[in-house]
Amino acid sequence: MFDGSALPAMQTSLCHAPQNTYSPQELALEIKAFISGVDQTQGRKLSVRDHARCAVRLLRTVPACRGAVLEHLRGVYDEYVAAFLQDLEAEDENVGNDTGGGNNNSVSNLEDVIKEIHGVLLEFIRLNPKAWAPLVSAWAVDLLGQLSSKHAGRRAAPHSSSLNELLQLWMSCAATRSLMECYSQCLAAMLSWCPDACVDALLDTSVQHSPHFDWVVAHIGSAFPGTIISRVLACGLKDFYAHGYSASTMSVVSDKANPQQTALTPPSVAAIDKSNRVPKIGSVVGILGHLASRHSDSIKKELLRMFQDSLSPPPQSAPPPSSGAGGWESSPHLRRATVPFLLQLAALSPTLLGAVSTELVDFLRPPVLLQLQAQFQGLPREELENMLGLAVHLISQTPTGGTRVLRFLADTATPASVIISGPTPSPHDGIREACDRLLQMLLLHLHKLVYNRPEGDEPHPHSSSSSVTAMPRVIPFLEELQAHVGELCAETLRLERKRHLWLHQLLCLLSVYGGPSVATEALCQLLTQARNPEELALASQLHSPLSTSIPGLLPAAVARCVAQIHTQNLNSRELGQLLNNLATAVQSQEEDRKGGPTGGSGSSMASQVGAAVSSHLHDFCSLLLHGDMIVSRAAARLLSCSQLPRAASSAHLLLICRAAVAHFFVALRQRGEGVKIGGQVGGEAVSYSMRLLSRLAAHSPLTLKAVLQQLVEGALHKGNRDLFGGQHESPGEDSAVSSTLEPDLDVSLLDVNLKFGTTVNFSGSVWSVFHAGVIGKGLKPPHSSAQPDPVRVSQNLQTLLAVTVQCCSTGGGGGGTGNNGSNGAGAVPGGGRFQHGGEPPLFDEPIPINAEAAKTIAVTLVENICPDVANGELSWPPEEHAKTTVERDIHIRRCFEANPVLFHFLRVVAAGRPALCYCSVVLRGLLATLLTHWESSRESSVADSPWHLQASCLLVSCMGEGQLLPPVLSNIHEVLPHLSPFEVRLLLLGVWEYMRGNSPMPQKFTFNAEKGLFYRDFSRDGDVARYTAPIHSVLHKNIDRLGHLCWRFQV
Amino acid sequence: MSDIRHSLLRRDPLSAAKEVLYHMDISLGSALQSSGAGAPVLDKSTIDLVEEFIFHVPKDRSVPPKRMSCVQELQLLEIMCSYFQEQSKDAVRQVIFSALFSLQGNKADESRMAMLGKLVSMAIAVCRVPILECAATWLQRSHSAWCVRLARVLVDDYCTLVPSSFSTLQNICSASPRFCCQLITAVTALYDMSSEDMTPPPSLLEMVVGWVTEDPRLLLLTLINMPLGTSLPLGGLDVTPLMGLLRWCVKAPLAYQRGRKLSLTNGHGEQEKGVGCEELYSKLHLSVLQVFLMLQVHLTEQNLLGRLAVLQLESVAVLMEEVSRLVEELNPLHAASHIQLALDRLAQALQVAMATGALLCTREDLRTLCSRLPHNNLLQLVMSGPVQSTHGAPYQSNFYPHIHPPRSSPLPPHNTHPALSTHNTHPALSPHAAHPALSPHRPLTPHATHSSLSPHAFHPAAMTFPYRPIR
Repeated sequence: MFDGSALPAMQTSLCHAPQNTYSPQELALEIKAFISGVDQTQGRKLSVRDHARCAVRLLRTVPACRGAVLEHLRGVYDEYVAAFLQDLEAEDENVGNDTGGGNNNSVSNLEDVIKEIHGVLLEFIRLNPKAWAPLVSAWAVDLLGQLSSKHAGRRAAPHSSSLNELLQLWMSCAATRSLMECYSQCLAAMLSWCPDACVDALLDTSVQHSPHFDWVVAHIGSAFPGTIISRVLACGLKDFYAHGYSASTMSVVSDKANPQQTALTPPSVAAIDKSNRVPKIGSVVGILGHLASRHSDSIKKELLRMFQDSLSPPPQSAPPPSSGAGGWESSPHLRRATVPFLLQLAALSPTLLGAVSTELVDFLRPPVLLQLQAQFQGLPREELENMLGLAVHLISQTPTGGTRVLRFLADTATPASVIISGPTPSPHDGIREACDRLLQMLLLHLHKLVYNRPEGDEPHPHSSSSSVTAMPRVIPFLEELQAHVGELCAETLRLERKRHLWLHQLLCLLSVYGGPSVATEALCQLLTQARNPEELALASQLHSPLSTSIPGLLPAAVARCVAQIHTQNLNSRELGQLLNNLATAVQSQEEDRKGGPTGGSGSSMASQVGAAVSSHLHDFCSLLLHGDMIVSRAAARLLSCSQLPRAASSAHLLLICRAAVAHFFVALRQRGEGVKIGGQVGGEAVSYSMRLLSRLAAHSPLTLKAVLQQLVEGALHKGNRDLFGGQHESPGEDSAVSSTLEPDLDVSLLDVNLKFGTTVNFSGSVWSVFHAGVIGKGLKPPHSSAQPDPVRVSQNLQTLLAVTVQCCSTGGGGGGTGNNGSNGAGAVPGGGRFQHGGEPPLFDEPIPINAEAAKTIAVTLVENICPDVANGELSWPPEEHAKTTVERDIHIRRCFEANPVLFHFLRVVAAGRPALCYCSVVLRGLLATLLTHWESSRESSVADSPWHLQASCLLVSCMGEGQLLPPVLSNIHEVLPHLSPFEVRLLLLGVWEYMRGNSPMPQKFTFNAEKGLFYRDFSRDGDVARYTAPIHSVLHKNIDRLGHLCWRFQV
Repeated sequence: MSDIRHSLLRRDPLSAAKEVLYHMDISLGSALQSSGAGAPVLDKSTIDLVEEFIFHVPKDRSVPPKRMSCVQELQLLEIMCSYFQEQSKDAVRQVIFSALFSLQGNKADESRMAMLGKLVSMAIAVCRVPILECAATWLQRSHSAWCVRLARVLVDDYCTLVPSSFSTLQNICSASPRFCCQLITAVTALYDMSSEDMTPPPSLLEMVVGWVTEDPRLLLLTLINMPLGTSLPLGGLDVTPLMGLLRWCVKAPLAYQRGRKLSLTNGHGEQEKGVGCEELYSKLHLSVLQVFLMLQVHLTEQNLLGRLAVLQLESVAVLMEEVSRLVEELNPLHAASHIQLALDRLAQALQVAMATGALLCTREDLRTLCSRLPHNNLLQLVMSGPVQSTHGAPYQSNFYPHIHPPRSSPLPPHNTHPALSTHNTHPALSPHAAHPALSPHRPLTPHATHSSLSPHAFHPAAMTFPYRPIR
């Protein structure tokens, strides 16, 4: 709107110009009139309007009056602004009243004069920009500054902080708008040839009328963003150089050292003392701050360009003035001042710092660094110190890009190595040292910041408020790094020379700064990522300083690890690492304890890890069954070496037991396969598992029971059978099931049912003997599975038995009296013993098998072997009664056939007297089938049915061991191999008879406290001689072969 | 005196300045009366007061300098204007002017110059002749650097800043020709055509040409008015603007060609700019040549011929140096005609200047000077002179071979016979025939036939300017 109205005014003035050729006399009168303010011909006073017109006329005709006229016009503008604001205020006061007419008149009166002036000035600028633009721009900017600060206090004027309102107000005022337009025109004209001058003026004025003038700068800046930014920077640089950067640098550094003073004293006192004026850098920062909201990109670009230009070699040919920012690049002094200047800028304005920090690092390539070094070589020492301090301060304040800065520093400062040569060539030594120094200072600085943070040692009178304000002192660098704890940890763990020391220190600071959450995270990361004891040591090194300031750190860290496990963030390798690390930590605690009771104090990480881990055992136990062997093994290791919590709920315990046993079998299988990892490692897993199981068993009767039960059940489970030499497919399975496995048979249930005409279940009766095959189809095909490697089988057997025995012998207290507290620690040496000896000490006297444990095994065996509890009582019926339980007996026998491990279990049970009594049913069933076998056997030698012979021997010896039979009877297993089947039957029949006569009752055993075992006194059972007669006769008959054994059968 | 100062310190700057002026006037008036004929001088203390209260040089650290506002300054200027206008005594006026504005080589000089610039500018605007006369004297006495500054202020004011007021400046010529003469000298010193910025603005050129063609005698005013035997101040302006104008004429074709070249490389053409000026320069050249002839008359009358070098040989040498550099700068192929034009002008001017005694130099000197210039037929002729030019031999025009091809020179080829007769009858030559610089007298070769060169013998009616005998 203004332009439109200004145009006619300009035109009239233009067409006036040629006609207005005043004579010198007229001009003299005009000058007089202007000076005196009185019309010289008529002698009356000139109105403001006419006076202004007179001035404009002079401006057109008498060049010498230029200064005076412009000065006079200031008054006119000022008057207009005053009237304008008064109008506004009057409007505000009485919205309803329309009394503002008179004022309005004066405003509009002046408005056309202002338009006229505006038109004339614009015309001048248009016609001869080179001459007029500098003049008018200086005048306009100065006047703007004066007006805006003079009228800042007016009621109508908004507060200087609300930039937008200010802008609105002043741009609605014709006078200021006109000035602004003039200035823009000048600037547009001058940009091509001498932009420095006008930006200089802008900056000067901005400094002078600081907050009130901001709207002008903002407006101009957004109109000419690119230019203004670079000019402002160039001007600032020149000024910075001219006023000595050392002083201002120093002041900032000292400010930083004593933060409380920063608020009290103006930013750079030294500089003011020196030059008696505020350095322009303040206004540079202010202006850029304004522009940053919308033009941050160009500001960033400009700053970076400045930095690059200052380092790139000076242009050989003199640069044309239109190309760059005032040609500061060509002056070596200015170039040298650039970096300090940029640092200073960044120090004064966080936004600028944020703009630059992210990308600056990318420019710091080795050649650039060399140049930097060359540039600063000549600087005096304290200046360098100041700059270093400033740089450190800035880094600590960097809101973004901190990680990159850090990586850069660390990379550069890391000493070059012949062995590890990075992708970039190793930097110059001087640079490396400088970076090293910088890094150390940074760490020191951060240390101060972090540890002084909560206290804030300022002598401030309002101590309460100051402590409140000092509390949330933010360190942006650390703030940002908090998000990168994981990467930092990973870097640290690479253990590269000095680097990990720095990073570790930084991690420590970061943890203190960030509080428990960060510390937890860091520790958790270290625990997860450490790959060996040296790396793990970093974790404890981190923990020890933190533990004092952050209570409950380790439990939190472990809890975090567990959470990580639950969220399945980790891959199996990391998972395994984590578990292993935890285990190592726990074990180191044990070693500490072993080394000396006072050595491991409560604060050491290991003990705390132990405690923390044991409270999370049930979380780890699920990992025992992790698909990846590494994980499961690590979990086993961890569990095996950590304490079971006393107050663990039984549900958790049972869970752990189940998992542990399952893992045991898995480990056995893996050891056997030994494909993925060497057998030795597999053995390790087994040994961990064994230790874990024995620990579990030692914990409480409940766990003991659970473990044993699970072990037995697991060993008999068809999936595990083959581990112990058992056959894959149980012969006891229904023929129907097996037939479905063989589609050729094509037997339908309907057919079967039709054939027998009934659906009655004959199981348990003589009619249901299908074990040999389906009638009409011939015998079942004999089961032939590839016999597993006997060596492996025996090894597995030994391991299993060793575990079982271990569990039984360390069992949770005699008869359930819970004195398991001491047992926990006592279990360990036993575990160690198993590790070195592969030979399970089955018949070693010193390990008494706990009766209760043996009973558990016995009961479990019975439950698993004998599906039918009919006739399940302990006492033995007459031998003929066995006919009623033929099927069950066959089932039992098949069980034994399929699971060689059963005999071993029986032995264990037998060793735990009187538990074998509870196996009575099984024993009876087996004996019955053996009797049947030997009876029907037509072979000449017992050696022709080896299994039966072996079973008979084992059975008898077991019963002897379990003291179900007196020694005389139990010794018959020694002669059995030398007899004929019939004689064997005779002898076994004698055993049966004895058992019938002397029922295997636990009550018959008495506890021998000395040996800790139960014993049976056979003398109370009456005469054994009755039962030895067949033995003797058989001996007699074969005296030639068995003579040497006769002494074994003397009563 | 210190009590005056103390009373002045209490006043506002404007009235203090007025008071100082008044004080000067009074004291000078009394001094003039007491001393009689001798030039009145101002005592040191008054000068100090002037510096302190008019030019605001801080004399005393304790007293903060009070500056006048621009309006107050304007008031002061107005007062000065009126004062000088109304001061009837020439001597007092001169003394006061020089007391105010003659440069002292101290801190006050800057503000002195600023104020002087404004005062003169204003005097031009309101046509205060006495001030202009004083300014002319000032220009004569001051170092050329300051003179150039004053000229710059005036040119800025009237040519660049307020072109609409240009006519005011133009009209000054009639009011104070002496000032104009000095102004032209200063302006030619300012615009030496050394760069684009240093070529005179067209309006200025037009004005100068206008002035000179209107009255070529204008250029000699200072020389004529200068009493014999006055020594020029060191580093002052030339006595006449002839050298400067000659430089303009010679360098103009080259400079505009250069400017064209630059503007072409910069991508925007201002082709027509030089075209109008070319004619002006041509006119100017003619006027300069005419003035040389007038000069000869004047020198002869004053019996100075051969004794006063109006054109310094050194400045001619400098000019040639500049020309050769410019020629090198330009591409000879594309600017051949411009170079030839420049060299033609140079040759003509040299010939005339040497002939009229404005330039005192031997042909040998000339040869060495011209050695670096590119070939030019006319210049060659001027340098070689008549083929058989022996000392005292009679001049024969046929000695000049007719080597000029017909070309588009502003001065057409000629027949030299009339010139020969002119020369032989020239009254001014005989007394100085023995002068070595002038002895092998040459006819004014190409220009002899031109309209106005020979004031005495032939075609006076064809003269383009009203010839007035000097004095």
